[in-house]
Amino acid sequence: MIAFERINKTYPGGTVAVRDLTLTVAEGETLVLLGTSGSGKTTTMKMVNRLIEPTSGQIRIAGQDIMVQDAVTLRRGIGYAIQHIGLFPHMTVAENIAVVPKLLQWPGQKINSRIDELLSMVGVDPDEFRGRLPSQLSGGQKQRIGVARALAADPPVILMDEPFGALDPITREQLQNEFLDLESEIKKTIIFVTHDIFEAVKMGDRIALLHEGVVQQLGTPREIVLNPANEFVSDFLGHHRFQLSLLTKTIRSILRELQITPQSAPAEQPTDFLPARSTLIDALDAFQAASQDSLPVYDAKQFQGWVARHQLFQVVAQVMGEA
Amino acid sequence: MSMLAMSQFLQDYGSDIIRLTGDHLVLTFMAVAIAAALAVPTGVLLAMCPWRRFSNVMLGIVNIFQPIPSLAMVALAGALFIFLKEKLGWGFLRSTGFAPGLVALVAYALLPIIRNTYTGVRQVDDTIVEVAMGMGMKRVQVLFRVQLPLAVPFILAGLRIATVWTIGTATLVSLIGASSLGGLIFTGIARSRISLILAGAIPAIILAMVFDLFLGATERRLTPDENIINTK
Repeated sequence: MIAFERINKTYPGGTVAVRDLTLTVAEGETLVLLGTSGSGKTTTMKMVNRLIEPTSGQIRIAGQDIMVQDAVTLRRGIGYAIQHIGLFPHMTVAENIAVVPKLLQWPGQKINSRIDELLSMVGVDPDEFRGRLPSQLSGGQKQRIGVARALAADPPVILMDEPFGALDPITREQLQNEFLDLESEIKKTIIFVTHDIFEAVKMGDRIALLHEGVVQQLGTPREIVLNPANEFVSDFLGHHRFQLSLLTKTIRSILRELQITPQSAPAEQPTDFLPARSTLIDALDAFQAASQDSLPVYDAKQFQGWVARHQLFQVVAQVMGEA
Repeated sequence: MSMLAMSQFLQDYGSDIIRLTGDHLVLTFMAVAIAAALAVPTGVLLAMCPWRRFSNVMLGIVNIFQPIPSLAMVALAGALFIFLKEKLGWGFLRSTGFAPGLVALVAYALLPIIRNTYTGVRQVDDTIVEVAMGMGMKRVQVLFRVQLPLAVPFILAGLRIATVWTIGTATLVSLIGASSLGGLIFTGIARSRISLILAGAIPAIILAMVFDLFLGATERRLTPDENIINTK
């Protein structure tokens, strides 16, 4: 758990970056810091690994005040991923991933098997890519390596600064989905910085929308989209509210609401299925592509039950009514 | 020159040419090695210096010295040694010869290495340095594992420039008594003998070209291929 308590940050020269920020990130939660540039979102994130130190206030990780810990030790226990420029250009993929394990003086054999494990986990073929330099990777591959590197030493907390920012929309969506799948398996406490409301709604368990260093609203994506706390928040949502409201509901929540249980499981996982993390929009796409009237739902390879086309339409209509 | 005259010439001067080429190389290597040992750490310290204004002033001073003509630098080194011996009474010094020649060459080679090292360390993207810190590297680890490796191509370029300049300037230090290929050139000029002038000049030219090519190739081989790939 990460707790920010009355955090202020004023830069030399008087610019106030963060003002009286208090919030907690629960264990295993993904909190998105959302805002435009200059909103204080990146400053807030960088205070967690002390790349920036608060002017006043306290940050605790698992109950421990981070300012009384050794900064270097603290950082080695926190995963850090940023836009693809963050890979070290003179190190191979394997060397990039090995940085923190090496700092922690893991034995070589353990580091090597960890590299292979992580590369497979992020969908990159270890044999082919271990020895490549970042310059020999596509944008999407660089980003996957960035994520793998942040996970390398299996830290409980991960900071992600616009990790999918520099990607084309298709690759970006693919990586977001893969990361959501990955995350449901590894369960980390994540602080995720973005300026993109769609990404925030998709990735976040909760969103803190910041403006001029002040939290404008803190809540689940659904709460923010359906009940904007003030004019700034509703302006930020702009004319995307319908679309966003369809993103705030997932198949997982529909299963709960409609009390669908895992009955009559298919013999094996078919090619046409709905991942539980799918948003309503993903699900509509999936039904359009599939010929059946019902699709099986899987959560990380676990069968969850069947959702029928008409059930989906009902929920969509209901959500549109609310928005 | 006929073949006969040529063979006579080589018989007379061949061993001199070889010996002086050797002296020339020894002077060059020692000068560049000493200069690098002084200039690389200086460049790194300037680049890492938290007081920007101080490092800017120091770089400014380096840049002021840069355009000093090589002959003037040789003359200054000669003058310095005469001053030390005659005025300060450092009798153990010889005011001409290897030592003042080496000092002149070292002083001249320092500047490009300091400048390139500084540039090499400073050109590393701030984001990269911040990520390294954020991942839990200590300041020294950031320097040795990230900044210096990324500065290598720049430092090598500095060494190449310094080496080529030093090979050229080393011909001049024979004016203050250091033994180099310059000896043949100046004797040739004094006696109006083209063959002697060429016997000094041609090996010096070849040395400069060979080192430029060799060090240039090393530089390219050690440069991360980011740029090459991006132009594809």
